[in-house]
Amino acid sequence: MQTAESSMSTRPQGRSDAPLLEVDDLTMEYHTESGTVSAVVDVSFTLHGGESLGLVGESGCGKTSVAMALLRLQADNAHFLKGEIRLNGNDLLSLSENEMRTHRWSDISMVFQGAMNAWNPVQRVGDQIREAMDLHIDPPLTKAGSRERMEELFSIVGVDPKMLDRYPHEFSGGMRQRAIIAMALSCNPQLIIADEPTTALDVIVQDQILKQLKRIQREFGMAMIYISHDIAVIAEVTDTIGVMYAGRIVEFGSTREVFERPKHPYAYLLLNSAPSITGPRRKLAPLKGEPPNLLNPPTGCRFHPRCPFATEKCVVESPPLEDVGAGHLVECWHWDQVPVITEKGVA
Amino acid sequence: MVKFISKRLVQMLFLFVIFLTILFFLLEAQPGDLSQTLIGNPEIPPEAKELLADRLGLNEPLWGRYWTYMTNFFKGDMGVATSQYPTSVGALIIERLPRTLVLFLSATLLAYYLGFVTGKVLAWRRGKATEYLLTLGGVGLYTVFYPWFALLMIWGLGFTLTNLTGWRLFPIGRFIDTNEWTGGPFSTNQVFSRMIWVSALSMIVATVVTYVARKRLEYPQAIKVRNYVFLAGVAFPFLYFAVIETAMRTYALDILQHTMLPVITLTLVAFAGIMLLTRSSMLETLREDYILTARAKGLSERVIRDKHAARNALLPVVTSLVLALAFVIGGGIITETIFSWPGIGRLLFDAVVLEDIPLAMGSLSIIAVLALVGHLIADIVYVYLDPRIRYQ
Amino acid sequence: MTERVDLQEPVAPPGIELPPAPAGGPVIHESLLRIRLRLFRKAMRRNWRLFARNKIGLVGLGIILAFALVALIHPLLMDRVWDPAVYHPVTGYDAVVREITIVDEVTGDNQMTLADAQRNANPFVKVGETISIPNQPAQPSRTHWLGTDPLGRDILSQLMYSTRAAFALGAIAAIVTVFLATTVGSVAAYYGGWIDSLLMRFADLVLLVPLIPVLIVVGALFTLTLPLLGVLIGVLSGFGGVAIVLKSQALSVTVKPFVDAARVAGGSNRHIIFRHIIPNVLPLSFLYMMFTVTEAIALEATLSFLGLMNVQMSWGLMINVAHSQGYLLSGTSYWWLLIPAGMAVTLLAAAFFLAGRAMDEVVNPRLRRR
Repeated sequence: MQTAESSMSTRPQGRSDAPLLEVDDLTMEYHTESGTVSAVVDVSFTLHGGESLGLVGESGCGKTSVAMALLRLQADNAHFLKGEIRLNGNDLLSLSENEMRTHRWSDISMVFQGAMNAWNPVQRVGDQIREAMDLHIDPPLTKAGSRERMEELFSIVGVDPKMLDRYPHEFSGGMRQRAIIAMALSCNPQLIIADEPTTALDVIVQDQILKQLKRIQREFGMAMIYISHDIAVIAEVTDTIGVMYAGRIVEFGSTREVFERPKHPYAYLLLNSAPSITGPRRKLAPLKGEPPNLLNPPTGCRFHPRCPFATEKCVVESPPLEDVGAGHLVECWHWDQVPVITEKGVA
Repeated sequence: MVKFISKRLVQMLFLFVIFLTILFFLLEAQPGDLSQTLIGNPEIPPEAKELLADRLGLNEPLWGRYWTYMTNFFKGDMGVATSQYPTSVGALIIERLPRTLVLFLSATLLAYYLGFVTGKVLAWRRGKATEYLLTLGGVGLYTVFYPWFALLMIWGLGFTLTNLTGWRLFPIGRFIDTNEWTGGPFSTNQVFSRMIWVSALSMIVATVVTYVARKRLEYPQAIKVRNYVFLAGVAFPFLYFAVIETAMRTYALDILQHTMLPVITLTLVAFAGIMLLTRSSMLETLREDYILTARAKGLSERVIRDKHAARNALLPVVTSLVLALAFVIGGGIITETIFSWPGIGRLLFDAVVLEDIPLAMGSLSIIAVLALVGHLIADIVYVYLDPRIRYQ
Repeated sequence: MTERVDLQEPVAPPGIELPPAPAGGPVIHESLLRIRLRLFRKAMRRNWRLFARNKIGLVGLGIILAFALVALIHPLLMDRVWDPAVYHPVTGYDAVVREITIVDEVTGDNQMTLADAQRNANPFVKVGETISIPNQPAQPSRTHWLGTDPLGRDILSQLMYSTRAAFALGAIAAIVTVFLATTVGSVAAYYGGWIDSLLMRFADLVLLVPLIPVLIVVGALFTLTLPLLGVLIGVLSGFGGVAIVLKSQALSVTVKPFVDAARVAGGSNRHIIFRHIIPNVLPLSFLYMMFTVTEAIALEATLSFLGLMNVQMSWGLMINVAHSQGYLLSGTSYWWLLIPAGMAVTLLAAAFFLAGRAMDEVVNPRLRRR
């Protein structure tokens, strides 16, 4: 529950000491008609207040599943095999549905993929935002009070406050996205999860929204988990990054570190498959093959069929998470073979 | 919104004119002598026949006849009922129309309300035994052969129930028990009109109060007000006849008893279709993103179901009101025939059996008007419910 | 000054190996027809699997097949097993009689008062006499499994005979509907403009006016035979809701790029409509065909029940005969006059409906469950 006082005032910036969110060994599978899909395996990470984490990976790598799990909004056929999700020390997975509802939106809120359709078409936008606030803010705001707050939110995200009385179809795509962000902020959450929030928008609007998100996050000291398949976008917005492949986090570390010196072959190939306009002229490295079928995932390291460094060991044994220095974590037997590309060429 | 309504009205009028035209040509195309069909009743004296022929334009060429036919209709003159000379078709229709309206309206409203609520709840609880049973029952009611079902209802609730309990709750057809009414102070139409007026007024007041409550109060209280006011609105007519207008009491009860079984029968079958449709509409709506958002906001299941899912699932259901209307009207005609209930449908059927063509055509035209009006109302309701169309 | 960059073969940075490129190009060895046939068979198998997943669809199909079997068996029964004089559905007559004793007061079975006997048999009977009166409609017995109707005809035979009529009617209505609705929908979608408006307005009209009263009046003005009714139903439903649905389907095909490609390649309008649009609309029309049959069966039964049809024997007519002679509203004792016939209509109409719903899941991928 959030108090009305701490509305839009700033919070301590940067990292605080106790972790806000701890995910330990989260493992999920989906029971489908064709079989069991092993979608998330041993995912662990820690997030502190004010920190922004990026989860990057191809479609189907499990990043959305993790995001949904954080809010306990997983699909009906999803099952948790093991793991804990601790928010300020409380394991969210062990809560009852009623208890979980109190945490939704007030502690963790979410900006969904394709948030255009996240609005109920037959209700006014303002009413939908107020619905969330009435539920979570205690003591409840008066009608005037909530109106004031919503107008404040809208000016933060850059939408005309008069639009609060309109219906969603009267908003443009970008405006709808911004309004969603406003709604996500409305109950002053400690953590916002943004799942591909700009995928459906054009580049200019995308840029604007990204900058806004970054600004909001810094100003109000919220933690953020940013999910995308677009590495360039992640690089702009996040402090820490987790690269996911086939349900596992294969590399984890500060964004700068992982970008400049990727240690997992997948991350390496991913980062080097796009040409850079401003960077040095270099040859491209394509990523062969396709993401694995998680109904029947590869044995050992799940990346081995596509990995140029794969050996016998990789087929048989799954590599553990190793610390290669300064909190930079990798799951690979041969991370030391991955070349480092600097300004001057290959090191 | 007003522009939309007027546009639709004009469209409807246009369609109705086309319909009347088709009817006219149908009449012309039938084998046999037209004047024989229309005024061939031997009871009509020759001078009257001349006048009638003139009035109906029978002596004119095709286009003259058509023009006379159309103008007559819009003047309200639908000819004379050859089976009940000299009563005009118009008079007969006016006498019967309120009764059919009551049948149609109550069946439609009940079926819609019950069907929607049941379908909404049904879609929400998936995979349980009740879902399976109700869906099965719904499909059964939806596909059952309607005249057969009506007869079975008479057998079940009319005969069997009476035999088992000794209690004649549901009379076997007809409008009133003529024995009870002969020599009484009131005519059927008097009592019936009073019943209609009281009920209508009561419902209107209830609706207005609900509307005001929705605007002023918060959602949960508004819903409570709606429920109470609704109950009061339904109870009031009963109280009226029990306490205020006691003289009419037994007669009103008689009419009510005779009306119950036809309404229940028609409602049951219409309800099934609505329930199934609401259910599938809800299932589709549940896949929408805004349902996920509502969950993420931490709203309770009931609020998500009613305020978000059902409200949106309502739209396709209202659209289908048109089809349901066609069924209610057709089914209503069969209902009136089987239960010998004296409405427009029965008028149509009797006319056809007696080969009273003017009466048959007139009844059909009125039925078409009812259908069109119903469609128009459905369109208006839909526009009101969907802001995407209202605010363009 | 920027350097020119030459397009080269992709070369991997050191430490990485590239996959080998395919040599030459792909080569097809099979003829087009065989490929099409193979794909067709594969699609049919997959569709059947999807259809069969839904148990109610199988139930519906089963019922339809059962009725079809009944329709086929009946002529054989009439030829070899049953005596046509007795069992013919229209002209048969079983002279079953009952022995009744005339008494002053009825105290037991097979007794009748003088007044009743005078009314039923002849006016010259006296108390104490035993008379024979025809026992129609007769209760189910060993010779007549479902009893007889008021005119002495075997109910089971009537039931089986009417199945033929039901199927025939359904077939006529369905074919006409599919033909009309597909054409109307495709033409309206493809040409657009005033043709579209006109057709859709017409469809609105057909949709608006309820079918039953119209058919009742048509029944009064003209003689309704089974084929005529089939065509009428086909036309009325073909121009109505089905046309609207098929038009949206056709529309979604019209805007697909391959239609533009066909046009650019020089395809005439007729060619595009028949080779591209209609084949993509046809599966949906077959689906609605099922619902048309449901409607047709119910409509014919209703009209026969009301006595407006000129048909030799049908399920609706069976109920009509019983109802018009007052047997159905005198109590619940003559159950064999009502239950079998009504059940038959309900079952067959429902079967087509259920099969149609199951087909819906095959044709309309949005409805498939995960």
